[in-house]
Amino acid sequence: MKPSDTLRITLETGEIVEQQADKTLLESLEAAGQEVHFHCREGFCGACRTKLLCGTVKYLTDPLAFIDDDEILPCCCVAEQDIKIKLL
Amino acid sequence: MKYTTFNHNTTNPLSEPMFFGNPVNVARYDQQKHPIFEKLIEKQISFFWRPEEVDVSKDRIDFQGLSTSEKHIFVSNLKYQTLLDSVQGRSPNIAFLPIVSLPELETWVETWSFYETIHSRSYTHILRNLFSDPSEVFEDIVVNEEIKRRATDISKYYDDLIFVTQLWQTQGEGTHVVNGTKYQVSMRELKKKLYLCMNSVNALEAIRFYVSFACTFAFAERELMEGNSKIIRLIARDENLHLTSTQHILNLWARGKDDPEMAEIAEECKDQAEAIFLKAVEQEKQWAEYLFQNGSMIGLNKEILCQYVEFIANHRMAAIGLGQPFDVQSNPLPWMNNYLNSDNVQVAPQEAEISSYLVGQIDSEVNADDFGDFDL
Ligand SMILES: [Fe+2]
Ligand SMILES: [Fe+2]
Repeated sequence: MKPSDTLRITLETGEIVEQQADKTLLESLEAAGQEVHFHCREGFCGACRTKLLCGTVKYLTDPLAFIDDDEILPCCCVAEQDIKIKLL
Repeated sequence: MKYTTFNHNTTNPLSEPMFFGNPVNVARYDQQKHPIFEKLIEKQISFFWRPEEVDVSKDRIDFQGLSTSEKHIFVSNLKYQTLLDSVQGRSPNIAFLPIVSLPELETWVETWSFYETIHSRSYTHILRNLFSDPSEVFEDIVVNEEIKRRATDISKYYDDLIFVTQLWQTQGEGTHVVNGTKYQVSMRELKKKLYLCMNSVNALEAIRFYVSFACTFAFAERELMEGNSKIIRLIARDENLHLTSTQHILNLWARGKDDPEMAEIAEECKDQAEAIFLKAVEQEKQWAEYLFQNGSMIGLNKEILCQYVEFIANHRMAAIGLGQPFDVQSNPLPWMNNYLNSDNVQVAPQEAEISSYLVGQIDSEVNADDFGDFDL
């Protein structure tokens, strides 16, 4: 993958993490040393609920946990473009 | 309105509210007003497990080696969980089914309750293995003061809703006198009781199990009582799903996506909902104190357990719009996540003897490499 193809995940703190190929958003954040709360890692518990400040994500499995309109579940999605998020 | 097991009126379930509309007639799932409940049913069914499939025989030896204070912690937690699942195995059915109006939600409630009965049966499986006669443990649940105090708070919102629903379904709205006590029955009052009850159930499944879960997994971290821990992981996975369902119900109401009157009530009763949650947090902390009264256990103490309850409460309260009242930023027991992770439940090699997990997940082709990690 060319560097220009790598999608960037900007945290509210200003830190930048790369969306890794074959990894969920949660796994990409963890690989970069970010502490994200999680339980099920399958989209049904909602423990990893995160605010999406800009950009869009694509779900790999249907999220079952309740999420607000501006929230995402990193355990079952990937960034679809450069995104900005706020960990809760 | 009198309850009927098969409503002969033609209704449109797509325009019914979740509760207090027409009783459900046809159990159909081809169309759903709130598709989330159908998805939760499918997910819950895919989790099917039987306690008897988990081998708990090694736990008996481990148990004999525990200190007196550790035995107290272990057995007390099982008693408390037995109480919680005794209540949950019947109450959603008795309280919610008579007033539910959507087929997918009706079936979700039944599916949910059924899993609680699996949880109850698993405590008998665990205790039978530890004691030749577990009667004493079960009998203490209704007389133990610490457990009774919690039981009152857990059951009272259900009991209130059930009683007023019975009055309404037999006598209608108005003032009714039963055994010399006057009761005002109105739809508004019924809906308030339903709202508070749903908050109480939400708080129960959000935090009431977690002190007990933490102790179980702390034993497992020391490679003790691992059969029990496997069962508790399966229970925790189910509980997470149940919690998701009540979070959806509360949020559908609060956001005006269901019964508009429930949105008003959610606003009006927000402080009461918060108080129910905070009381559950307080009681869990007191439970931690009771558990550790004779001494703590390796890896856990009262303070860290109380911080964990606050940490979990922050997340769960935020999910239903109640903010994050506690000042705990990071997870005080990060290893807990490894036990609450459903991936691990399914793929950990030690789970291999749980045959129900493997059904439907076995590849049709098996290579020698697949057994690379197995020692025979
Ligand atoms: Fe349960
Ligand atoms: Fe439950």
